[in-house]
Amino acid sequence: MATGERSGPFDRSNHYSQGPAGAPKKGSPGTLSLVLRRLVIHLFLFLLGLSLGLGLPWVGWLDREAERRFAERQWTQDSRIYARPLELYAGRELRPDDLVLELERVGLRAGDPGRVGRFRQRGQRVDLHAPAFRFPDQDQPAQRLRVEFEGARVRRLEGRTGQPLTLVRLPPAELGDLLPSGSDDRTLTRLADFPPLLVTGIQAVEDRQFRHHHGLDPRGLARAVWTNLRRGALVQGGSTITQQLVKNLFLSPDRSLIRKLNEAVMAISLERHFSKGEILEAYLNEVYLGQDGAQAIHGFGRASEYYFGLPVQALDVDQIALLIGMARGASWYHPVRNPERARTRRDFVLGQFLDTGLIEEDQHDRLVARPLDVSTHRQRRQRPNAAFLELVARQLRRDYRDEDLRGTGLKVFTTLSPSAQHAAERGLAQGLAERERTTDELQGAALLIEPSSGEIRALVGDREASRRGFNRALDARRSVGSVIKPFVYLLALAQPDRYSLVTPIFDGPIEVELPGQPTWQPRNYDDISHGEVALMDALANSYNQATVALGTEVGVGALYRLLGQLGVETGKDQHPSALLGAIPLTPLQVAQLYQPLAAEGYSTPLRAITQVVDADNREIGRYPMRLRPIREEGALALLDFALRRTVTNGTARSLPALLRDDAGIRGKTGTTNDRRDAWFVGYTRQWLGVVWAGRDDNAPAGVTGATTALPVWARIFEALPHSPQPTQWPEALEWFWVDWPQAQLASEDCPDALAVPFIQGSQPQVLSDCFEPASRSRWGRGRRR
Amino acid sequence: MIRSLQHAAQLTVMLAVIALLSACATQPPAPTEDLSVEEQVRAPAAEQGRGLQVYPLRNPAVTELSDAALAAERAGDLDRAVLLLERALRIQPRDPELLQHMAEIRLELGEWEQAESFAARSFDVGPRVGELCQRNWRTMALARERLQRYGEAANARQRLQGCQVEAPARL
Repeated sequence: MATGERSGPFDRSNHYSQGPAGAPKKGSPGTLSLVLRRLVIHLFLFLLGLSLGLGLPWVGWLDREAERRFAERQWTQDSRIYARPLELYAGRELRPDDLVLELERVGLRAGDPGRVGRFRQRGQRVDLHAPAFRFPDQDQPAQRLRVEFEGARVRRLEGRTGQPLTLVRLPPAELGDLLPSGSDDRTLTRLADFPPLLVTGIQAVEDRQFRHHHGLDPRGLARAVWTNLRRGALVQGGSTITQQLVKNLFLSPDRSLIRKLNEAVMAISLERHFSKGEILEAYLNEVYLGQDGAQAIHGFGRASEYYFGLPVQALDVDQIALLIGMARGASWYHPVRNPERARTRRDFVLGQFLDTGLIEEDQHDRLVARPLDVSTHRQRRQRPNAAFLELVARQLRRDYRDEDLRGTGLKVFTTLSPSAQHAAERGLAQGLAERERTTDELQGAALLIEPSSGEIRALVGDREASRRGFNRALDARRSVGSVIKPFVYLLALAQPDRYSLVTPIFDGPIEVELPGQPTWQPRNYDDISHGEVALMDALANSYNQATVALGTEVGVGALYRLLGQLGVETGKDQHPSALLGAIPLTPLQVAQLYQPLAAEGYSTPLRAITQVVDADNREIGRYPMRLRPIREEGALALLDFALRRTVTNGTARSLPALLRDDAGIRGKTGTTNDRRDAWFVGYTRQWLGVVWAGRDDNAPAGVTGATTALPVWARIFEALPHSPQPTQWPEALEWFWVDWPQAQLASEDCPDALAVPFIQGSQPQVLSDCFEPASRSRWGRGRRR
Repeated sequence: MIRSLQHAAQLTVMLAVIALLSACATQPPAPTEDLSVEEQVRAPAAEQGRGLQVYPLRNPAVTELSDAALAAERAGDLDRAVLLLERALRIQPRDPELLQHMAEIRLELGEWEQAESFAARSFDVGPRVGELCQRNWRTMALARERLQRYGEAANARQRLQGCQVEAPARL
């Protein structure tokens, strides 16, 4: 015994389990047979004793193990990243096509809107049936909606009975997984949240005696054997749901008898220690239902999202039947790889539903006629939104430990707009293809920001957006060229006693002394010096020599300090060529620099995440909107005026012709030496967009801001909803009529007179010849435009 | 919301008077610990902000969200109020009423810098007169007092007078 105990429980159990079966033998009558019989009896008793002596402790050990391991089990579920939910309301700027795109990203499909998860578009009207979603602040049930459009605007929103609705928040699109936790994934679902038909249906098919047995079901086993014999195929298993759960949770998949015995013991054990509800809930969340790449899909919650793009509550009867059928063998009955087999299996399950009275005959007949109807978009997609998800992952890793993010089922709500992302991806891909010298020569990046909140609505890091790899929006540090100039001018305009928009700046040959290097002699893009020009025109036309002249007056150090104040790290090395943009920055950093300009003087860190909640919807992180006023509010407004002039009269004047409606865009082009980089930054009050284009190897690419990046930007902007927004000028500004060539105070009627904003007191004091004292030179104060 | 504010004003005007009288006793006013936006911002603004008022037409969806935010605020759930206001601001990012409401909630949360920033932004994009203007400057004054920038707080209090404009300056 003592030696036997050391040989390990499995061997012994094996021995004894076979013992009783092999022991009784029939012998011939007589002494020999008597001896034999005694021997057999003794052997039997010996084995019985041995099995009780060893088996009982083993059973006891299994019992405790099963209880402990079930109680301590921890489900892993991936963190889910969601786009911003689309808010629908009358008056919203939204094209019907964009609504359809958003619905598809949420997981809805074209079809009868009577069913959850379907929509139907008829011209200017979209009927849809949105699935339920648990928002952190609200459990939102499934709901039917009718959205009526008037052009590119929502005209009316109705509920199921035609009652008008003020505001509906659609469920957010799932963007993909963050840090896939490796082996498996599930969407944990409480028993009460599974559809009742799924809960009863799985019992009808897998284990009809589930409610009554104590872990094992001999009658079910017999029935299974009989059914399989009659059909000549393995269509039914004899294992109870409890046994299957034990097998999935605790045991290896081999088919040995010992394992069967262990399984039986542990099944009885689970039934002793836990309720039927707990066991069933565990089973429904654990059963293997297929593979998503390297990840196993466990449980009906995730399977429903994966195969149908719907939460499990939204499943229809035939969809439930398909998934229940797959529990028997998820790859054998895979609806995409083995559709015919899967369909036969589904129909078998529907037959079982009928047999057990779960559905009626006519319903059954209708359902078996349906095709499989599996959503393939999740199978098809190659990690879309990869670039944006990378930014989300970086922000999360900055704020949380890796082990808190992995497998814990966090829900991360982000700022991404699927329709804006689509517009940015398409605009970049098409725009580059249109403008490059040879196919696939150029690469690019694009960002879209909501200026006042700093929320990142779209981020593209590769012209082929679904490709993973180098993320140019975050990681390509490229010289920004003239995109830096507005900040040089901002420094000047912040000194209203020295500079205004009309201050003459000399654009001519200039030399800058560099310590230990040859003197720097910047030249203009067109190699022409323009002499004295108004400050705002030097910026609008992006004159290099004038900018260097101004920059040396305000100081290179001041420029670096300003960039730092605006939230952009530039490194310690400071050099005067930074005045012309010889500073490598990423497109994301450029967006951060321009955000306060677009947001009328309020700086806010760019955000990709708004809220993080745990698997139970408890908030664990919040990224609220934060504002910081830029002190030089007046100077920013003047700069805003000059950047508008860039679009109407300067280097970006080709832009309005590319747009149906120019919507008061402000912008700045940027081109670097030898045409290696092309930039365009443009903004309205609703959108800030940054586009970069160039070659990954930083070779001359034949690109310019105005001819490469600007048309890409225009393509993207054309696809975005927008409406004119009033500009509210700061209090400190006053408007005056000015005429030229020397900026002088003029009257409205003077030829070529232009209304220009000034910080109070910085307007020209010299009166133009045509100035009429009777007329008004001043043009209102803090005036709306 | 305006009606309920006026109702609240009637109820709290007594308290406001008491608060003002007690504030007179100490110079400079010591920040009261139980800072009530209702008493120190909204009620006096409603009281003194009469005269010219500017109430722009509002999107009903925004009204629904800001009403819900007000309800959450009254129920003491300030975090929820912030979330609801952020939703509303996504619809109308430059709505001065929403921005001021956010400023007041941040004030109640003790986020003084944010309270000041949102109130300033509300003033920038807002009517710059009337009750909202009063609330803007009262919020900025309170936030600056808490930040111990007493000079700027006093400036903000002076700006309150500029909110009472009899007629808009039109061209």
